[in-house]
Amino acid sequence: MDYDKKKKKLYDETVSLIADLGFRNRISFDEMNFLLTLLDLIFINKAEKDLITTLKKWVQTNNNSEIDEIIKATLLATDLRVPEAQAKCMEAVLELLEARS
Amino acid sequence: MINDFPEEYLFDLESEQRVLSSILHSEDACIEAYNLLTPSDFYSPRNALIFELCTNLYQREVRPTLVEVLKEGHTLGLFTNPRDIEDLKYIAEYYIDDENVKYWIQKIKDKSRLRKFVEFLQSSYEIIMEQKGNDVEQILMAAEEKLTNLTALEIDDHVDTPADMAKLGYDEVERRFLRYKTYSELYKGRIPLEGLPTGFDNLNHVTLGYKPGDLIILGAQTGHGKTAFALHTAKAVAVESKQSMLYLNTEMSREQIALRWGSILSSIEHDRIRSGNINETELSIIFQAYSRLRDSGFYSYPCPNLTPEKTISIARKFKVQKNIQMMIIDYVGRMDKFDPRLAEWQILEQIVKTQKMLAQNLKIVVMCLVQLNADGTLQGARRMKNECDLMLKLTPIPAEDFELDEEIKKYLNPNYYLIIEKNRDGRSGVRIPITFDLQKQTMKDAERISL
Repeated sequence: MDYDKKKKKLYDETVSLIADLGFRNRISFDEMNFLLTLLDLIFINKAEKDLITTLKKWVQTNNNSEIDEIIKATLLATDLRVPEAQAKCMEAVLELLEARS
Repeated sequence: MINDFPEEYLFDLESEQRVLSSILHSEDACIEAYNLLTPSDFYSPRNALIFELCTNLYQREVRPTLVEVLKEGHTLGLFTNPRDIEDLKYIAEYYIDDENVKYWIQKIKDKSRLRKFVEFLQSSYEIIMEQKGNDVEQILMAAEEKLTNLTALEIDDHVDTPADMAKLGYDEVERRFLRYKTYSELYKGRIPLEGLPTGFDNLNHVTLGYKPGDLIILGAQTGHGKTAFALHTAKAVAVESKQSMLYLNTEMSREQIALRWGSILSSIEHDRIRSGNINETELSIIFQAYSRLRDSGFYSYPCPNLTPEKTISIARKFKVQKNIQMMIIDYVGRMDKFDPRLAEWQILEQIVKTQKMLAQNLKIVVMCLVQLNADGTLQGARRMKNECDLMLKLTPIPAEDFELDEEIKKYLNPNYYLIIEKNRDGRSGVRIPITFDLQKQTMKDAERISL
């Protein structure tokens, strides 16, 4: 399988996995939608590196504190496809991460 | 007997799944399929539904990725259980090289036409049985008409009978007669445009505007206003008339184009805007100018590696999503050669032919800007002239004309001619004196000195 097909397969498998979790109620529909949107941003729209770095930073330090819950709620309430909304959300997440540390 | 026809001849599910997979993974494939297929071309209702979801998303400017199709289907209550995800994934995994999508689309279309042919055979058989073989002439005539429609490659193929043509001519003349009469009374004889405004009153008068399906070629030497002309046209179409249009620029950056607009819409010198040498009042004027651009129908696509094929897919996309009425290519000489073995004139000829077809198929105006040689001639001019509907040249007025040409003396500050070299719908060989302010990047009809 060539690189292009491997990439498509990886994308399709990931979409299917996330959607399956949502459809089986293992994650909420908001969480499913967020993850699917993020996947498209990374695979299709070549998301900004800042977005990925910030999210990684949060995931690595997430300890389910109250602030982590607020960060999660902020992310789920944002339509990351809208650049302005995404920028505002990342700004808020960074502030919250700083407040937590 | 006809019902015994083996059903497996009538569909090709593999092709349907391959095309859908390609749509889900490639925007170019999506554009091709959108233009060539309809849901009824799909045999499987499930595949037709997915295709319809994709096209609906695309019309709303959402690229139909697997994620977006899944979300859309879920929102509409079409995908509700994990089995639906499996089905969709199964289709998505029919990978092809996306550039081969046309081959698979053709296979779907062939099967679709074959199904229609079988329906025709079945209905003909039923008619014969119902009428017990009587009125043969009538049966054959009806069958012939249906079969002719079926064999026509494109649905919009149409042959005009003498009566059709005469009626069309009569209707057109009557419409124009009544319109002229109305406008003579209302606007003292000034005829309304039939197409998009050109940005010049005199050119509007000769051409009645740029019409859908028109290919317009504008030639000018380097540094003599090609881009200024393009943006002047864009101002008339997109800013003043609020029509959607697409501007493809092969050599300027987004910032350069944006700065030019500041100058064009505010009439403040371009050099001063570029250097920031402006006062606060001028800054406020420029901001107001940009608010006009924000409310306009101007879409810009800086594209240094433009090829004729790419112009087709970009134009199709913007026609579907933004309903563009015009596309300007600035400029043709900077397009990538699709076959380096071809001579310059052959490449230009092919580009121009492609753009003419594009204009007709999408029913939009396509304007191509080309570079004139130092002596004012145009490479491959004869061939370009054959293809285009309107050929314009923008050239400085020669110094001797100011002394010897009595006509030019009747104008205030003309410095350029806009020459109509060819006009398929009207007068050609016309020279329109214009005033081109290089610093402000503005153009206008030269004013006549009132006597």
